[in-house]
Formats: sequence, structure tokens, C-alpha cells
Amino acid sequence: MYTANIVDTVMFRSLGKQPNTYLQSLKRAVKAADTELWVPATIYCELADYGDGSPVNPYLDDGIEEGWVRIAMPLPGDRSDDFDAVDESVAKARHLADSFLNQQSKYPETNNWRDASLVALTVRLFERNAQIHVITHTADESLAKACARIPPEFGYYEINSRYYNPPQTAKHDFPTVESLTWDRR
Amino acid sequence: MSYDTEHVRNAGDIPGTITGIPTFTELLTNTALASLYTTIRHSATATAPELVETADVSKKTVYEYLRKLEQAGLITETEDGPSVYEAEDFELTLTIRDVEVSITPELVELIAHDDEYPVINRVLDDHGLVIFALAHDLVNAHADGDITIRQLASLTGLSAGTAYDLVEALYDIHDLGGDSSPTTFTPDDVAGNEDGNLRDELLTE
Repeated sequence: MYTANIVDTVMFRSLGKQPNTYLQSLKRAVKAADTELWVPATIYCELADYGDGSPVNPYLDDGIEEGWVRIAMPLPGDRSDDFDAVDESVAKARHLADSFLNQQSKYPETNNWRDASLVALTVRLFERNAQIHVITHTADESLAKACARIPPEFGYYEINSRYYNPPQTAKHDFPTVESLTWDRR
Repeated sequence: MSYDTEHVRNAGDIPGTITGIPTFTELLTNTALASLYTTIRHSATATAPELVETADVSKKTVYEYLRKLEQAGLITETEDGPSVYEAEDFELTLTIRDVEVSITPELVELIAHDDEYPVINRVLDDHGLVIFALAHDLVNAHADGDITIRQLASLTGLSAGTAYDLVEALYDIHDLGGDSSPTTFTPDDVAGNEDGNLRDELLTE
């Protein structure tokens, strides 16, 4: 059974720019847990530096080059589309996640479409892999709940959603074999 | 009799003396002064010699600041002994162009830590007091699970990186968050009512 770990921006911001000891620990933990880290393309862009030349990503590029971080192809879905007009599961999941985050928020209609990309990527990985567990990692409570709540709407239940609170605990609690390994409880 | 007028409320029989008004705003710009006030606020038995020992400024400056804070009514000498201080809570509200912003001990506590967390000064200098205070409150909303960090960035106009740095700083300073991390949610943990349909519920709303 393949385990994929989908990681939110905040986790990498917490660990800091490469090279550093937290990222080295993360690399070792990924290998020991026999997994890969997945990041939506939109989150790659969020963490990238856009200088004069092509963008560089001081958090992710080394991991991508070394093969333990994978950037997902851009996800489908246009926020302005009506839900009923969307016929693809991944895009539907993103719309549902967006609505769920609005419902949970103290300030509805101000959430960021990027947040929903984590949920959409989760559904995409389930659709493309028959034998898979997915673990998501974020420091936002409502997003962590969305990651566990929305995929079952599409028939996918093999998900652990990890919520890091306070966010800075990610520095020590995320780059571990335990956090990246499927929890059978 | 109690005074309760347009500008003065809850004054009691004899209105206390408040002078040294600049000290209130100096708390937002002077790290050492903010730190001294915050230390007294968190300690029930802060004595002047102890404050001198822990302060990053000279003995002379500590005594000068104690005098300033006392004149502004922000600290008082207690009856427990000479030079034992306790802090008074306060709220200084400014209203400009209908925007109301309150300076409170919680904001002053952030200034007391601005040497440790450069993002605090960066936000104050680049974005001003209203955004700084707004971001402070939104970090509390994040701790309550009411918003995401990206939302905080959108609502304040801070960059994603600055928003994260501020979140980390404020969680540290105010000791926000849970005791153990991470929490793992499974579909069973967040399942809704069996009769309910999430799609209908969300999309109808």
C-alpha cells in the first residue's frame, strides 16, 4: 500500500529555507517512512521567489531534485464556476472544500482558493491510485477538518489529517517517521 | 456619587489623576518600557531591584521608566512593601475616520518582544497600528480555528510569509495553541449527522 503525504505551505515555512537541519531530518524521515511528499502546484508558486530569471523555490527545489518532493500537475476547477456545472470529482472536491471553509470561518467568503487545493489533490491521488493511504499536514484547523471530511463524499476514507497547533510545533513534530506514517487506529 | 459623562465613565467618587499621556503611546515604540510594564503585569511581586536585575537597560533608566509608568497610572506601588509594583490594565481607544483601534496590554506585550521577533516592528512600521492590531486579533481567531493563515494574509494585506512569521511570533508570545501536536483527524472524527448531506448543506448555504 502506497502512502502519500500532502503538505501545506505553512509546514515548509515553519521548517525554513534550504539547507537546514529540519529539512535534512524531513528527508531522512521521508525515506525511512518509504513515502513521498506531494505539494499542489499552486503551493509551489506560493513559496517560490520570482526574481529576474525563472522562479526558484528555496523551500522545495532541493527535495524535488532529490526525488522526495513531488509537485502535482495544476488542479482543475475555476472558483467562479457553479458547482452543478462542474462534472469532475477533483474540481467538485475543491468547490466543496471552499464552501466548507466558508461555512467554518468567522469571516465567510474571505477564504483563499489555495486552501482548497489540498483537498482537491487528496481526491486526485485517490482517483489515480487504487491502493493508497493519504496523510495531509497543515496548521489550519478548519482546513485539517476539510481534508478528513470532504474525500469521504467521493467514497475515499483512507485518510489521516494532521493538524499542527501551535504551528511552530511543525518544526519538530512534522519531520518524523511517525508523522509521515499511516496511523491504523 | 459617580462621574459618568460624555468623556468620563466609572470614575468613582474621586477621579484619579492621570498624567503622562505620552507614556501610553511610548509603550508602542519603546521596547524597554513595554518590557518593564509587561514584566510587572505578569508578576505579582515585582520589586524595583528585581526589575533592575532583569532589565536590558541601566538602573537609572529603570527607575526613570518606573516613575513614568507610575505617573501615567499604569503601575502602582502596593502595600506589600516599598518598591513592590503591580500593573493596571488599560485600554486606549483611538477613532479616526470611523476606524476604531484599541491599544491594550496585549499589544504592548508584543512590543516588549520586538527584539526577538523582527516581524513585529516590520508589520508596525510598514502597515501601521490598525493592521497590526487587526492581525493580532486574527491570530487569536486562527488559534480558535475560525480562520486559516491564508485568510489572515488576505484580510490584513500582509504577504503570506509575513503573515506566517507573525502567527508564529504571536503564538509564542501569548502561549497560544494546544498541549500536544499534531492532532490527527480521521473521517470518523469529523463525520456530520448521518441524516445530513454535506453537499446540500454547503451548497444551499
